Amino acid sequence: MIKVKKLIMSLNILLFKPSFVLSQVVERFPKPDFQSDYTRPLLQTPEPRIKLYEYFDLFVLITALSLASYFALKLRSRTKMFLLMIFCLLYFGFFRKGCICPVGSVQNVSLALFDAAYTIPATVIAFFALPLVFTLFFGRTFCAAVCPLGAIQDVVIFKPAVVSPWIAQVLGMIPYLYLGLAVLFASTGAGFIICQYDPFVGFFRFGASFNMIALGISLLILGTVVARPYCRFLCPYGVILNWMSRLSKWHVTITPAECINCRLCEESCPFGAINMPVMEHPVNRGKSIRFLAVLFILLPVVVMGNGWVFSRLSVPLSGQHFTVSLAAKIQSENSGITTGTTEETDAFRASGKTVEELFREASVIRQKFRTGGWIFGGFLGLIICLKLINLTVIRRHDDYTADSGTCFSCARCFSYCPIEQVRLGNMDPDEASKIKKSR
Amino acid sequence: MAENDSKNKVNRRDVMRFSLNTFAGLAVGGVSGMLITNSNSREMVWQIDPNVCIQCEKCSTNCVLPQSAVKCVHSYSMCGYCDLCSGYLEPGAVSRDTGAENQLCPTGAIKRKFIEDPYFQYTIDEELCIGCGKCVKGCGSFGNGSLYLQVRHDLCLNCNECSIARSCPSQAYRRVPADSPYILRGDEGAKNSS
Amino acid sequence: MNENNTSQIWYTAAKRIAAVSAAFALILSVLLVINYIQTKRIDPLNSKALNQLMVELQKNQNDEALKEQIRALDLLARKAYFTNLWQVRTGSLLLFAFVLTFLIALKYISSFQTRFPDLTAVPDYEQMWENRLFARKYIIFTGLGLFVFAFVLSVLTEDGLSRAGMEKGESADEVSTLPGIEEIKQNWPNFRGPEGIGMAYNITVPTQWDGRTGENILWKTEIPVHGFNSPIIWGKKIFLSGADRNTEVVYCIDADSGEILWQTELNDIPGSPVDRPDNTEDTGFAAPTMATDGLRVFILFGTGDVACLDFDGNRIWAKNIGVPENHYGHSSSLITFRNLLLIQYDQNSGGHLIALKTDTGDLVYDQQRDIEISWASPILVNTGKRDEIILNSSPDVISHDPLTGKELWRIDCMSGEVAPSLAYADGIVFAVNQYAKLAAIKLNGAPEILWESEDDLAEVSSPVATKDFVFVAASYGTISCYDSKTGERYWFEDLPKGFYSSPVVVGDNVYLMDMAGTMYIFKTMKEFSLVNTCELGESAVTIPAFMHNRIYIRGFKHLYCIGD
Repeated sequence: MIKVKKLIMSLNILLFKPSFVLSQVVERFPKPDFQSDYTRPLLQTPEPRIKLYEYFDLFVLITALSLASYFALKLRSRTKMFLLMIFCLLYFGFFRKGCICPVGSVQNVSLALFDAAYTIPATVIAFFALPLVFTLFFGRTFCAAVCPLGAIQDVVIFKPAVVSPWIAQVLGMIPYLYLGLAVLFASTGAGFIICQYDPFVGFFRFGASFNMIALGISLLILGTVVARPYCRFLCPYGVILNWMSRLSKWHVTITPAECINCRLCEESCPFGAINMPVMEHPVNRGKSIRFLAVLFILLPVVVMGNGWVFSRLSVPLSGQHFTVSLAAKIQSENSGITTGTTEETDAFRASGKTVEELFREASVIRQKFRTGGWIFGGFLGLIICLKLINLTVIRRHDDYTADSGTCFSCARCFSYCPIEQVRLGNMDPDEASKIKKSR
Repeated sequence: MAENDSKNKVNRRDVMRFSLNTFAGLAVGGVSGMLITNSNSREMVWQIDPNVCIQCEKCSTNCVLPQSAVKCVHSYSMCGYCDLCSGYLEPGAVSRDTGAENQLCPTGAIKRKFIEDPYFQYTIDEELCIGCGKCVKGCGSFGNGSLYLQVRHDLCLNCNECSIARSCPSQAYRRVPADSPYILRGDEGAKNSS
Repeated sequence: MNENNTSQIWYTAAKRIAAVSAAFALILSVLLVINYIQTKRIDPLNSKALNQLMVELQKNQNDEALKEQIRALDLLARKAYFTNLWQVRTGSLLLFAFVLTFLIALKYISSFQTRFPDLTAVPDYEQMWENRLFARKYIIFTGLGLFVFAFVLSVLTEDGLSRAGMEKGESADEVSTLPGIEEIKQNWPNFRGPEGIGMAYNITVPTQWDGRTGENILWKTEIPVHGFNSPIIWGKKIFLSGADRNTEVVYCIDADSGEILWQTELNDIPGSPVDRPDNTEDTGFAAPTMATDGLRVFILFGTGDVACLDFDGNRIWAKNIGVPENHYGHSSSLITFRNLLLIQYDQNSGGHLIALKTDTGDLVYDQQRDIEISWASPILVNTGKRDEIILNSSPDVISHDPLTGKELWRIDCMSGEVAPSLAYADGIVFAVNQYAKLAAIKLNGAPEILWESEDDLAEVSSPVATKDFVFVAASYGTISCYDSKTGERYWFEDLPKGFYSSPVVVGDNVYLMDMAGTMYIFKTMKEFSLVNTCELGESAVTIPAFMHNRIYIRGFKHLYCIGD
């Protein structure tokens, strides 16, 4: 009996090389009845590591956010902030390997909002919302010390150059584009591009694709002269934090009391987030008002136009979605446009799903991209208009202030302020008032 | 007069800011609240569905770890303990012994042990296994399918988006709850699902 | 002073540490990059040399030295792989340590270099405003650039899916646009005409021609690639296919001029075998006759390739349904029913009735049939109560529901290698095979055998039946006529050449062509009454198509059109 079985088996192996198959459960050979007292070992299934840290991570996040806010607003201590930042870099970065981070959680939230089939873990919602809530109260203290991506860039700042404000403004548009794309891709299920192009996670894990490491290294090298390039010109979560921070209830101030306009802090911020005082309107008001009027008239056109053109982008954009690209591949193979098959199409054909079903799914996704494209394009148009308005309207203010949107609350500028030095007891109040007079 | 005016302005701005602040707070709270209703208190982890897997060997190269967290596992309860194991032996192997020329596994991670005539036990050495799935293909094609790939959660970093999942041609990866993190076959699977 | 000195020492030390760690970090990163490039170039676990040796071992299975060599090389490769892993792991950890040291040293150094704010420049509001104007301008440019980029991209990207979408749009109103049975009977849509039973309706065709002199030959067109399939016709378009080991081609020919309107070669069909299966020369790769549903044409080749073209020769879909395991070669022809393409796929490994969606080629069902291999083609029968697709095979004639593939009934009456298809008339199905029998199966009520006969049976040629008679042509040249109800043999006639082609009933006449291309035209009567004998001048084994009051015959090389 066994001989025959063996024979059949060897025939099988000789005749058919393993071809393309789904791994299947087929009982081709009966389970043996052992004569000896052999017992079958059981398959070991180690527990996921995440279960150990699930709530501890949340605890660390809340503590770190609270401490960062406390250090920025109450203690006003850069040293403590720096130490906290190093701790968070080590914990969230090198120890917890950078996942999950609030930056990436934007995508989980988008996916959960648009795909009912995706159940989002409660901790991920907390990771998304907590930094935002803290920012609403205390400004971007999350960026200052808690975010491992910010921290790794912060430690390499050596000779920060001043980025011309207008260049910073233009580059500052990129995060909006990135955020829009990330939300569009995540909500349609096409993938998490923020995670895919995360430049620093490779360092945390001691390994990643070559391109990822190369991108990370070049950003870090750039970061020695352009402080925190990812945070300022790429980070999509920073966009939301920026909005929240503008509305923050308490935000760090450069000086603990009244600004004496001594200009000492003027170049202290490596991120260019200090607003100079505007004592007078240097502007031709009429021109500005005309510009604003045109802008307001054009606003709906810009929003709609951008929406239209981005909805038309649904073809290339949805091509990034697995199902759509699979459908296109199947289509071109079936109609003989391309030669040969791919692993994807082979797997699809073996799955027994019909082409029609696939096309139906693909066209639903395509439709989502079309709708999403309208929203995405409209959003970009609106942002451009708002930016332009913001650049045209000038508000008078007398003090040096931290820009509530772009300031990371890193506490670097405090020590430059004579009033702060007085507060710390390092300076005689008289000396400070002398400085004030000399201005 | 002018001073008064500017004070009023400041006040107006403060009120505006406060209301917007409240609004933003409500928005964040609202979104979170909305999501909480469809959320899970359990974490999710990545797992490969062995019934969808096509053994393309991408698991061994696309993991962010230097040596993939995907390993071949063995449901002993389903194994036929064959002498001529199509998961262990190279197709057309010249003899049925442990010689490297007969072994299918590129790293020699499958250990073969004689139990009783004519049965042999096969064990995976996970230190050596790179998750290429060559043995899985052999076992699935001609054997009982007791060898299959699984994400090992003592190794997996549980990236927010698994980079193997992104490149899996049969879309065999999916998120599963962390408290039942494996998709097993045989008795192991039955025990797990119950 | 002392304090200053110590800090000076520390400062110098930090500088040196920074320099040394930077140098080490640099060396390590270069090593890591080299390592990366090396493993990229030669994957130790997929060594070419090792694979080569394995191939050699297959040739000399007992070469012990070779085995030793493989073992040594395999060990080396595995060592290389795991050493590399170790190197990368240790290397990156070391690199991390060095970079960390470098950063700490640098921080320490920079703590000595306090920068004082430069207050010489006076704040310039003009410049600030300039800056804003600049920002405004470039944001507008960026916005415009983005818009143009998006627009150009959307115009330039080709949509791989739009045609699929169009097809879907078509399939929605498919059922209503499909031709009905009356329209089908006006055409010649598949093997042996409408429903596959060898009947031509409502036409009169010539009874006199001569291919050698050109008498009554309207046109004659050479078909470049050979095939044993018979022409099918829809409207004014004739379709046939040809194939050899390397090519699979479909021809469309104008019925009035004989001109080849288009020809479509089918390449790169997903799943098509690289090595063509072996078959015999009198089957070839294009034995199955095509079919049309009035909207599209369908082709099956001996490789298992199925394709669908529109009437202009554009490929709509193509797939491979599995390479036939067939020692002569696959020959069963296609037929359509509503929106399904039905394929009798009885192979050595088991019988199948396969239904594909006509618009997409998606599998609707694959009905397993526990019978032996056969070469016959399906017929469609409407019994008045239901539609059936009936297949001749050994040992059973089996009827299936064409929509679901479910078996409706079976009669055990055949044996051997079944090639003739069934005949049907007036509620009776006729099955025949050489060395088996001729069996009449009545469908009314529970199907059962009405009568049987064992004289002069057909080997390849399919029988044809009218209300009163059934005609059978043996491959050695004997034509027999039976009473369809009783099985009484009214007459038989021995003719010089054998029959592979099958008889077709046109009005009161039966047209039956022998292997030499001689058409025998005789009356459907109780006596053998020959109307005429016409020569094609070319050997032919296909079934003529009857339409437009003309006859279309595919000879070995040419397609002929015969008409007055």
